[in-house]
Order: sequence, then C-alpha cells, then structure tokens
Amino acid sequence: MSHVSKIELEIKDLGTLAAACKRLGLEFRRGQNHYKWFGSFMGDHPLPEGFTQADLGKCDHAIHVPGAEYEIGVVKKGHSYVLLWDFWRSGGLEEKLGKNAGLLKQAYTLEKTKVEARRKGYTVIEKKTDSGVRLHIRMH
Amino acid sequence: MKEIIVDISGDGEIKIETRGFKGKSCIAEAQFLKDLLGKETSQSLTPAYYEDQKTAVKKHLPLCG
Repeated sequence: MSHVSKIELEIKDLGTLAAACKRLGLEFRRGQNHYKWFGSFMGDHPLPEGFTQADLGKCDHAIHVPGAEYEIGVVKKGHSYVLLWDFWRSGGLEEKLGKNAGLLKQAYTLEKTKVEARRKGYTVIEKKTDSGVRLHIRMH
Repeated sequence: MKEIIVDISGDGEIKIETRGFKGKSCIAEAQFLKDLLGKETSQSLTPAYYEDQKTAVKKHLPLCG
C-alpha cells in the first residue's frame, strides 16, 4: 500500500446516474422538472449550498423511488449534478436510500468505477463488506 | 500485484487505497478515479510511497589501499 485517499463524490454523468437507479430498482425520469417533497421549507435545516428556498421542488430531472412518497430532484450546477430531496421521515426516502441518499451515491460510484476501470483494461472484482461494497481493481 | 481498492460505504463515503506500488506512481495510477468521482478531501502517504522504484543499491568496497 502506498497511499490512502478519501473522495467526496460529485455526480457528473447522467447516464451513470440512470444506471445506478436501475441497479437499485429506482425510476430515473429524464426531463421531469419538479420533484415531490413536503412543499414548504420549515427552516429547521440549512439549505444545500448555492440554493435558495425558491429553488426547492424544481429540478432538471427526477428520480422516483418505489414505495416512497417523495422524489429526488436532480439539478445541474456547473459541470456536475446536485441531488435535492426532503429527508422528512414520512416521505420515505431515507428509509429506502439511507442517510444522505448514501445507497444511491454508492451505486453511482460502483457503476462509474467499474465501467471506466474495465475500459482501461483492468480487472474489477466486487465484494460486499460489513459497511458497504469493496472494488478490487487489478492492473496487469 | 498492483491493485487499487475502492471502499464505498452504505452512506456514500469513498476511500481509495493503492497497493503494490512503489514510489509516486500510485498517485498517478489512482488519479483517473479521483477525476472520475469527485474531490479528494484527504490523503495519507504510507511508507511504500517513499520507496524508490529502483531499489538496487550498489556498494563499492575498497579492495586495496
């Protein structure tokens, strides 16, 4: 081992996000410009960076989560996409996707990493761990 | 064997480890993943990082004089 890095995910590829949704059984709705949420900002949590109260509920694409009442908004900001969603318990999203939609971010990372590593000719092995998933990328 | 390990937790945290590399090549080899996935928020170097890829050391012994 020679170095260890921690990465903060940026979603840059809509195709991979759609593939991640498919992996989790979610429905990626390209071009849907609104997402379902509580509908009124209560001010009990900070707004996502770069967004105002007026931006909530609006998006460029949306993700429908079967079994959840609320939806996830996908908003283009510069060269990447931000996920907007209301994590209020009754909306059902946190129950399905974990804290901060972690399972969706995990699925995106898996899909993107596997495709690009294989494109480079590397072997990729996926294994489950206690805390999530581990990818072994082997170079020849 | 040269290998990159990517751990992705259920809450979306990503950790990348390089294994089997010597010297600075690990940084270059893992860069494509960092570019692909987002921003690097922390990095720690391990002892192997400081090993030169050319490890052969020649010692000259005085044979006379």
